[in-house]
Amino acid sequence: MNRLMESGGTVKSLRQALGLIKLGAPLHPILVHFTIALTSVSLAFDAISFFFSVASLSEAAWWTLAVSVIATMFTLATGVTSRLRLAVEEGEARSFLRAHMALGPVFFGLLIGVSVWRAVLWETERGVSWWYLSTMAVVALVMGAQGYLGGELVYRYGAEVERDYRELPVRSADSQAPALTPSSLPAQVLAGRRGGAE
Amino acid sequence: MVKTFLGLNPFAWVALVAAAMTVLLLADALAGHYRSGFVSRAQYAPFLSGGLLVVFAVIAVVMPDASWANTALRGVAWGAVAAGIVGFGFHHYYGITKKPGGYRWLLHYLMYGAPQLAPLALAVMGALSLIAARGMAGETGVAGLGLRPALFAVIAVALAGAILQAGILHYRGAFNNAAMYAPMTVPLLAVISSLWVLVAPSPAALIALAILLWLTLLTGFIGLGMHLRGFDRQMGGLYVALFNLLEGPPAWAPALFAGFAAVGLMAVYLL
Repeated sequence: MNRLMESGGTVKSLRQALGLIKLGAPLHPILVHFTIALTSVSLAFDAISFFFSVASLSEAAWWTLAVSVIATMFTLATGVTSRLRLAVEEGEARSFLRAHMALGPVFFGLLIGVSVWRAVLWETERGVSWWYLSTMAVVALVMGAQGYLGGELVYRYGAEVERDYRELPVRSADSQAPALTPSSLPAQVLAGRRGGAE
Repeated sequence: MVKTFLGLNPFAWVALVAAAMTVLLLADALAGHYRSGFVSRAQYAPFLSGGLLVVFAVIAVVMPDASWANTALRGVAWGAVAAGIVGFGFHHYYGITKKPGGYRWLLHYLMYGAPQLAPLALAVMGALSLIAARGMAGETGVAGLGLRPALFAVIAVALAGAILQAGILHYRGAFNNAAMYAPMTVPLLAVISSLWVLVAPSPAALIALAILLWLTLLTGFIGLGMHLRGFDRQMGGLYVALFNLLEGPPAWAPALFAGFAAVGLMAVYLL
């Protein structure tokens, strides 16, 4: 596959930077961070509030969870639209994708359930219990599994990004993966670096 | 005593959940009727009836003091009940009776013809909206039943219908995944439990019902995930979206389990 090479010079002005804006990034991998962060932070706030009796964090935990539910609706919707654009043949990646698709609504259902529970606690001005924290921990575990599957799809299989990103000049589509240490870098890369330094 | 949740009374929540379920129901109806090519103008009826139900349910919740909105909701709710029953007749006549072989091929047409019980889901949405409209207007009963028992009765009937329809379609799918038995497990127990609460209400029965309804709600979301996965088991998956949406499992059908369970939970906790 021929990818576009990164061929422009260093970006030196705001105008140049604005000219490079494409707004073509897939939204799903962006929005998942809101779901993950808000849900995790809600659990953390509630746990701190429970163990150290910080009332204001308990209030914040409810609101972060409420916003998480709203954000997750968009996360799910963009996940489906991402899938509509993703051509992937049968194989390992497709299996990851199917598991990711099955687990998404399950996580959302669990999130709605704990959010209703949290809303009742908030309305009645009661603190969270061990039961609530344990359930939230289970929800966070499911979210972790879902995040892992999504991460594999993007970072191992390049779902939705592999065809879109521009290749850096030191690499070509058929080159080896970059080495981790300078001593093992390919000779042409080292030559390029020396040349750049002179 | 009627309690509120997040500033809304339970009947407003019932109206909103019924409206949301109607939207999902119409999405599945659109796929089914589009697949058959809208050969009859009557196939547009659920979209008119259901569309009005959604609009007036939201208006009645947003404007709880406007009596015209409540009256309009009752009107369109009766319309949805009528459209659902007529639709059931159409599905039965054109889906079984008029087909070659007719009743002698009953099982075949139950599986591959128009889904027999699907239109009745619209009638259930109408019934739920009627109860919600009465509740929002401060009335306490319908057809000789209190509004809470009426909700339990509607939920029991609706879940039983959904289980039957899912049973037939999952049988067609040869129960190729163990999760396809799920609609026949917890939701069935929830139906029995709803009837138990109706006939002999007690705190123990109510606790059992609440637990079963929570599990039914989760079953609905598991079903949504599995149906989504089902699309992707077909060639091309959702990348060939229109084809697989028409040929795959009904996308939103499992959400009805979650929605009915949500209405039941409102009746348990808020009424």
